[in-house]
Amino acid sequence: MAIETLVLGAGQEVGKSCVVVNINGKRIMFDCGMHMGVSDHRRYPNFSLISPTGDFDTALSCIIITHLYCINTLFLRFHYFLIIKISHSLILYSYIFFFGIICDSHLDHLGALVYFTEVCGFHGPIYMTYPTKALAPLMLEDYRKVLVERRGEEEQFNSDHIAECMKKVIAVDLRQTIQVDKDLQIRAYYAGHFTLFEYLTLILKVLGAAMFHAKVGDSEMVYTGDYNMTPDRHLGAAQIDRLRLDLLITESTYGTTIRDSKYAREREFLDAVHKCVSAGGKVLIPTFGLGRAQELCILMDDYWERMNLKVPIYFSAGLTKQANVYYKMLINWTSQKIKDSYPTNNAFDFKNVCKYERSVLDTPGPCVLFASPGMISGGLSLEVFKRWAPFENTLVALPGYCLPGTVGHVLMSKPPKIELDPNTKIDVRCQVHQLAFSPHTDSKGIMDLIKFLSPKHVILVHGEKPKMVSLKEKIHSEMGIPCYHPANNETVSVPSTVYVKAQASDAFMERCLKPNFKLHKCSSQELSIKTLTDKNIVPELQVINEKAVFIVEDKSKKLKVVHNDEVLVMLGEKKTED
Amino acid sequence: KGDYYQYLAKFKCGDERKEAADQSMKTYQNNTPESIQPISMQTFTSMMNEILNPSTPKSTVSSIFKTLIHSLLHSPESHHSQILKLIADLSSHHPSLAQLALDSLQSMLPQLTDPPSQLTIEYLDALVNISERPVEVDDSLFTSICLAASFPVRLWMVRNSGCRVMVRPELLYPVLMGMTKEPYPCLREEALEALVRLGECAVFEEVSLVKGCYERGVQLLSDNEDCVRISAVRVVALWGLMLASFNVDTKTYWSNEVFAMLCSVVRDMNMKVRVEVFNGLGKMEIVSKELLMQSLSKRVLVLDQSPTEQFVLLASNVAGALVHGVEDEFFEVRKSVCQSLRTLTVLSVEFAHAALNLLMDVLNDYKVEVRFQALETMHHMAINHCLELQENYMHKFLDVLEDNSSEVRFSARKIVRLMKLRNHLLFKSTMDVLLKNLDSYPQDEADIFSVLSHLGRNHKQFVDLIANEIADEVEASFEGNREFNSARMAALLVLSISAPFLNADVCPIPPVIFSFAATFLSRICCAFSDVMNRDTLLEYLIQKSSSMVQPEVNISNGEGQNPLAKDDVQNVAGNEMIHSEITINNGEGQLPLSKYNVQNVALEMKPPNDVGQHKRPVHDSVVLTYINYILVKLPNIWPKVQSCSANEVLCSLRHWKEELTSLTFDSSAPADASAFALLYLKIIKLVVEVWDHLVRKTEVVSGTVELEDKLEKLDGRAKELMNRFIGFSAEEEISVLELILLTYTLRLCRSEICSRNFIFKRMTIIYLRTESFLKLRSDVASGFVAELGSLIRESSNGGASCSSLAFDNCLKLFSPKRLMIREGIRHRRAELSIPNNCPDYPLPFAPGLTASIPCDITIHNISSNCRAWVRMCINDGFTQHVYLDLQSFEVSGEVRKISYAVPYYRTPELDSFNLKVCIGLESLFENVTPVQAHGGPKCELVLLCEEKIVYLSRVL
Repeated sequence: MAIETLVLGAGQEVGKSCVVVNINGKRIMFDCGMHMGVSDHRRYPNFSLISPTGDFDTALSCIIITHLYCINTLFLRFHYFLIIKISHSLILYSYIFFFGIICDSHLDHLGALVYFTEVCGFHGPIYMTYPTKALAPLMLEDYRKVLVERRGEEEQFNSDHIAECMKKVIAVDLRQTIQVDKDLQIRAYYAGHFTLFEYLTLILKVLGAAMFHAKVGDSEMVYTGDYNMTPDRHLGAAQIDRLRLDLLITESTYGTTIRDSKYAREREFLDAVHKCVSAGGKVLIPTFGLGRAQELCILMDDYWERMNLKVPIYFSAGLTKQANVYYKMLINWTSQKIKDSYPTNNAFDFKNVCKYERSVLDTPGPCVLFASPGMISGGLSLEVFKRWAPFENTLVALPGYCLPGTVGHVLMSKPPKIELDPNTKIDVRCQVHQLAFSPHTDSKGIMDLIKFLSPKHVILVHGEKPKMVSLKEKIHSEMGIPCYHPANNETVSVPSTVYVKAQASDAFMERCLKPNFKLHKCSSQELSIKTLTDKNIVPELQVINEKAVFIVEDKSKKLKVVHNDEVLVMLGEKKTED
Repeated sequence: KGDYYQYLAKFKCGDERKEAADQSMKTYQNNTPESIQPISMQTFTSMMNEILNPSTPKSTVSSIFKTLIHSLLHSPESHHSQILKLIADLSSHHPSLAQLALDSLQSMLPQLTDPPSQLTIEYLDALVNISERPVEVDDSLFTSICLAASFPVRLWMVRNSGCRVMVRPELLYPVLMGMTKEPYPCLREEALEALVRLGECAVFEEVSLVKGCYERGVQLLSDNEDCVRISAVRVVALWGLMLASFNVDTKTYWSNEVFAMLCSVVRDMNMKVRVEVFNGLGKMEIVSKELLMQSLSKRVLVLDQSPTEQFVLLASNVAGALVHGVEDEFFEVRKSVCQSLRTLTVLSVEFAHAALNLLMDVLNDYKVEVRFQALETMHHMAINHCLELQENYMHKFLDVLEDNSSEVRFSARKIVRLMKLRNHLLFKSTMDVLLKNLDSYPQDEADIFSVLSHLGRNHKQFVDLIANEIADEVEASFEGNREFNSARMAALLVLSISAPFLNADVCPIPPVIFSFAATFLSRICCAFSDVMNRDTLLEYLIQKSSSMVQPEVNISNGEGQNPLAKDDVQNVAGNEMIHSEITINNGEGQLPLSKYNVQNVALEMKPPNDVGQHKRPVHDSVVLTYINYILVKLPNIWPKVQSCSANEVLCSLRHWKEELTSLTFDSSAPADASAFALLYLKIIKLVVEVWDHLVRKTEVVSGTVELEDKLEKLDGRAKELMNRFIGFSAEEEISVLELILLTYTLRLCRSEICSRNFIFKRMTIIYLRTESFLKLRSDVASGFVAELGSLIRESSNGGASCSSLAFDNCLKLFSPKRLMIREGIRHRRAELSIPNNCPDYPLPFAPGLTASIPCDITIHNISSNCRAWVRMCINDGFTQHVYLDLQSFEVSGEVRKISYAVPYYRTPELDSFNLKVCIGLESLFENVTPVQAHGGPKCELVLLCEEKIVYLSRVL
């Protein structure tokens, strides 16, 4: 018996996650993503490898979607779009730009789902977590629009397809065990990863990444999806039980990176903000959306509370209320801190954060402003930036990555002047602070997870090849666990555990229920002599393991487990038979 | 059978319970056991009620008990658990029956052990519940239970072994080791827990045993069950340390192994496991520096020198362990990390520096508990001198001072107190933050002042730099009177006056500051409470402000007149100035202002300075001379007593007394002398007061009670003087004896006193002593003594015949002698302390049983042939004495110490009561009447210490 892993996507590459695992005859597809870098048939995983005849219903038991998309692909995928020169009318373009990128990248894990179920015709069950299920139709619809209406490509599926597809989806809660059929059971574990997506001015935060544990018969495996081992202020670290795994399929995006403590970075950030504010300056934090902003808000609100600062914090994104509702709904998916404080005061009801109004812009005195969009690519953040940048006591804190071509990116090199268009030049005298961040696990996290789970085999997916190779070497040498990094469309087969069924005799059962050791007593006389001769107190009782078990194969080819007391009897019987 | 039911019925209805119970008990016992029906449920309930009701008579309880025991033998097994529960309850409510219950249950136990079942466990459980001490179980029973087929039986045994059930460690160890292989997770967990308990109490001499246990723990670290892993971590930490401590040479090696092993499970998915890991790390005694540094970095470190083989092996396990802990999602883990850092930072200085970086990050934590814990760790580091705050940290640290949690602020200030700041700027910013703090948190004022005073004392040079600024600001505000009362002013003053505190030399703080500070006295005195009290602070302030104004004049005044402390001319000169102020204020002008007086006050000023500043030893002789100066003056004031100007005399006596009290600092010989002098003065004072009453014949009615009271007091004091001091010279002895004779005479002058005979008798004894003493020295008796002698000889048949007038005449002849004390005087005294006792934590007692009162006793200057007693009085007046065997004390010089559990026999039937305990010495002087006939001391007791109150409360 073996577990066969067929990698249809994300093998030695990033994006298009799709792995089909055959455990003891049950086939499960983990994730069903699409690659956005290419527009031809390679965009979708090669589903024909699953079943050449196209009869997917019998070939696959179920599909499991771990979560919506991963952010790092967002960065990787930028390259494709940077061909567009943004020398003039940056504001206009950036919106389109965003629209495209976000929609492209968030379908890493489920982009090809509708295509597969509706176009290729798969009718089995699909599992995803509640948050993912809630957002999947929204995103798929967006995506369809982008492809069809903006790029003018041929329609692969229509809205009805999406609705049909969603009907097949079954939502799973954390740590809920689901019996898919007689043999197959799956369970979701918290993965601590989150995603964010921004759609014009609509900003939402997406949580709900999960690790999935699948068990068929005696074989068990875990597919991680994207996860994070280091807790955040609003998202916890991944949590999983210690299981007896045959196979672990893990992402390896940051297979060689070791991230330092983010505490130091947070400290620097807070120090910079505090210094600026106490000197009477204004702080501008251009943020992506609620995702990162939310975390920074929690951080700053805590700090304000602690230091009794009275400087106002303004939040420009109008969706705080929606976000609150959303978080309340999904409280299980957040970090311990938020769970702890939830009954008394909602962590998202910030005490020191107030709603942004236009008058704030010209009010004198220190303040902190969260403005969207991030990267100062336009909208409010650019407007504010234009106004505040010429002052020396202003601080612009850039959380996260900035695309080349955006003001944020230019700002990082700290130029004296920024040319927005031939008519607009901004004097930049403000200070700039950059805050790095990524929600992916680093190599230490991967190693720690592997060490904790100690599976028999490891397969790496979703990473660049050189990184995978070096991580594979490391896993192999440090933990002695065989590790593979298959390319797309390759199959890896690992042996699986099969328990042999055997009949146990009553005597054996009885023995098993008792402790299986015996104590041998020295006589007290002996003891007294011993203590006289040497002063070391030798334990007078010795444990002797008495687990002599015989497996006997009888005529009917059935295995039987008996106790050694019985063996003699049986042998005697056999002799008489002979 | 019928009788039995009748018995039960009577039980229920409650009338004539006792008789019914007795009667039915008898019939019941006559019955054959087979005829007994099992007890019904209702009966159980009513029995329970009887047991819980405190007013149930004892006999009923005991008959219930008998019934229960009986039915235990004869009822079906299904009822046993009920009955056992009742027995356990009964013994807990009626402790007198506990022993009986214990015995009877123990006797039944052997029948049940083969094979061990649930019932056996119920018996054992009841046994354990009844007995307060751990129950000892013999080996065969223990093994048979541990090997029992039933899982809950084994579980109970393992769970209770080592804490409530005592088993020999040699037997327990292998059984537990075997148990760790059980298929049941909770059994494995309990076995590991039991191993932890075993490791805590037992001592193993065999390395292989310890190593085996440690390795088993390591194996179970990868157990599938969370609870087992938690216990496994504890086993690894405890037994690993034990293993490491076996051999000094390999200690580091093994400690490193344990450290790495614990670090390797730091990323466990279970929060409790992680907490336990860090608790374990906090117990490490020695870890190599490289590994410690590695635990702070997620990347494997590249070392300068070639790393040891062990390091290479362990590095990846250890990497970043502490960082992960600090970043943990659960605050419990983060808190635990901070705690563990407390011990780890002590291990290596370099590590401490690096860990500080981590702790600085933790100061940003959103949980108060974690921030507080981090600060406590830093405080701990500061105490161990491994806290070095760099400038960039300092900035962050000062932010913490403004934290909105008061615990965090207090903790941060605790660190500031210990800090040594590098440069002026840091000092200034620290000061600014503290001042700002004062505005934002006015409730912290006292603490901030105290921190400022520490800051000033530690950084004198920086205070000097800003002294003038402060002075300007203070003066400006004083003149403008704007914010004169503001906390900021007070804080600045605290800072500036604290700077010259340890350095008495000239400093640039303008003296006017000190006088300003004096106006804030009540507000700022708490800032200096660790070194001086309010009064001494005031004196310090006055001294500083005035000595600075006229330094030259003082020096010229002081020089000639100061034979006592020549080394300290300047200081005394300063004091002298104040002295003149004080004396004028007190209105003591009429006393002869000799040059001694000046010195007296100078000396009086000295002690506070001594405590606060560098310890300048006060020479014994100096103190003695000083005491003598006071005593010498006594004869001089006597004429005033006789001329009825008692008030005046009392006033000066009181003044001297105060001076003396301020002297009693050191515990050496002069202390004894001054104690003597003090007592002497007190007696004189009482004499003067009584004298005033008697001689002036003030016939005020209300005065009689007062007088009686004073005489009583005088008597006590006189006895004390005689008994509590030894080593008198002849001269001193005579003075003392005369004084005592005087007190008796005074008592005899009161004609109303009925016990004249008794007093007269005692006086005769003292007189004879005096006479013989005088004869020995061939001295001439003073007029008073001679007159008294003739009086006594005249009325040899009994003092009753003498009129009080005769004694009056005697009194007129009395005048105190010039008394010079020498160093030989020793004060007999005792110190008694009862540890861990206060109204909130009373000692336990059971009524009717002896209670033991743990006492720590220290006695001074008492030779072993004396008879000392502990006297214990209860409020209603009953007194009990316990003899103290002085031989059994630990002797060191003249001091003897003992910790002794004093038994108190007659504990009353009360819920709680107080005992007054003190130590007394049998007075050998006046063995006139035995005080107590039996059991107690033969002579009167002289108390050697103050009465201590012991609180006792009944055991529930």
